[in-house]
Amino acid sequence: MPELFEGKRIFTLLEVSQGIQATIAKKFPDSYWIKAEMNKLGFYAQSGHCFPELVEKKDGKIIAKIDALIWNKDYLNINQNFKTVLGDVLKDGIKILFLAKVEYMPEFGLKLRIIDIDPAFTLGDFEKERQETIKRLQGEGIMNLNKSLMFPMLPKRIAIISDRDSRGYQDFINVFDAAKKAWGYEFFHMLFTASLQGDKALATIPMQLDRILRVKNHFDIVAIIRGGGGELTFACYNNYELSKKIAKYPLPVVTGIGHVTNLTVVDMVANQSSITPTKLAEFFIQKFHNFSVPVNEAEDKIGEQARRLIRDVKSKFENEIKFFRSVTENLLLKNNNMLRENTQSVFQHSRFIFKTEKDNLAISRAGIIKGSQALCKAKKTELAGIEKNIHNMSPKNVMKRGYSITLLNGKSVTSFSKLKPGDTIQTVLHEGNVLSTVNSATKPSEL
Amino acid sequence: MNEQPNYTDAFEELQTIVTEIEQGEISVDELSEKVKRASYLIKICKSKLHSTEEDVNKILKELDSSNGQKSNLDN
Repeated sequence: MPELFEGKRIFTLLEVSQGIQATIAKKFPDSYWIKAEMNKLGFYAQSGHCFPELVEKKDGKIIAKIDALIWNKDYLNINQNFKTVLGDVLKDGIKILFLAKVEYMPEFGLKLRIIDIDPAFTLGDFEKERQETIKRLQGEGIMNLNKSLMFPMLPKRIAIISDRDSRGYQDFINVFDAAKKAWGYEFFHMLFTASLQGDKALATIPMQLDRILRVKNHFDIVAIIRGGGGELTFACYNNYELSKKIAKYPLPVVTGIGHVTNLTVVDMVANQSSITPTKLAEFFIQKFHNFSVPVNEAEDKIGEQARRLIRDVKSKFENEIKFFRSVTENLLLKNNNMLRENTQSVFQHSRFIFKTEKDNLAISRAGIIKGSQALCKAKKTELAGIEKNIHNMSPKNVMKRGYSITLLNGKSVTSFSKLKPGDTIQTVLHEGNVLSTVNSATKPSEL
Repeated sequence: MNEQPNYTDAFEELQTIVTEIEQGEISVDELSEKVKRASYLIKICKSKLHSTEEDVNKILKELDSSNGQKSNLDN
């Protein structure tokens, strides 16, 4: 009952609260289906109760806000439902459709007591956002922008957006470590720590993307990695702003964020996406294999071809040598024979020449002998004839034939005119001389 | 003609002398000179022929032996 104090009616807080409680209970007797965004779940592990913060936003601004509560009994049921439908427990940062009673409790104040939450609505809300984001990106024509970037032949330098404590990150790194051990593949990777779910993800992932952009020349690729998780935790990966940032990112972005049902929009715009971080890492390893297998094959091929080339050249060279040897031998033999023939020919011809010349000389010699002998004989004969003539013509021989010489005073007289009668003349005969006196000397009559 | 004529010249001269003598175109005064000259030419020709023959034989022999050496090397 209210008491009086200095003429005022004074109520206790409880009395007011109980009044409000009664009014509200009267005003809101039933439970209602309400939709709202659950900013915070406010789960208290000790009691098992939840104290969610519900808001309604318009253009990013909160236009309504009410605190709620879920009793631990209801929370267990709701969570079970979520696990069944969404594969995930109830989390903050999602839109929910819930059945609630407006309650006012003196000790807690005004609360929406959530009795049940319909997981299908949340799922539908995700899908709705997903479809809207896809539609917008398609409308802007940037859906395939990152996909159109050429995937590096060797994705060696990887900027990883993840959380060090995330199981997915560890899986991812483990595959690389194993690949290094097995095949000697060297990856350079650097972790850019980010939250991987909820509004925090939407804040930190773009922040890290901006950081990587400043050092983008040091990286081939950006990988967004997280372990598995329920469907609820993927909500942020359908976000328009994040999806757009990734679509327009100048480096290829790959995702291994682990999803159960539909691809998130981030998966869709990414250059490559894999279901799990392990699968994504294996995709990288496969790229290395794709590169190294032909390289190894080329190495083998080059070696083999080089050896074959050398072998071919060597055998060709040996054949050339054989051919050269045979040709030179033939040539030598031929020339040797020719030389021998020529020698023979020179020998024979010179012998012939000598013989001819000797014969010629002998003929000449014989000619000289014969000719000079003949000449001598002819001259002798000639001389003998002349001698004979001369002999015949000597005065003695002439006088022998009866001729005589008339001398006057010891000189031979050849004309009558030299003589006059009375001259004493001497007549020389063949045998003896006669002295006579000239009677007359007359002119000879013609004979 | 102080220099010894070569074989060809000597032989040609010899031929001329032979022809002259054979045709009796030579006087007795010249005869002995010509015969003397002819015998000199014959001597020259013979000696040149002889020495040349020896040279040729020697060269051919050398050629043969060097051929033989070569074929030895070949084997």
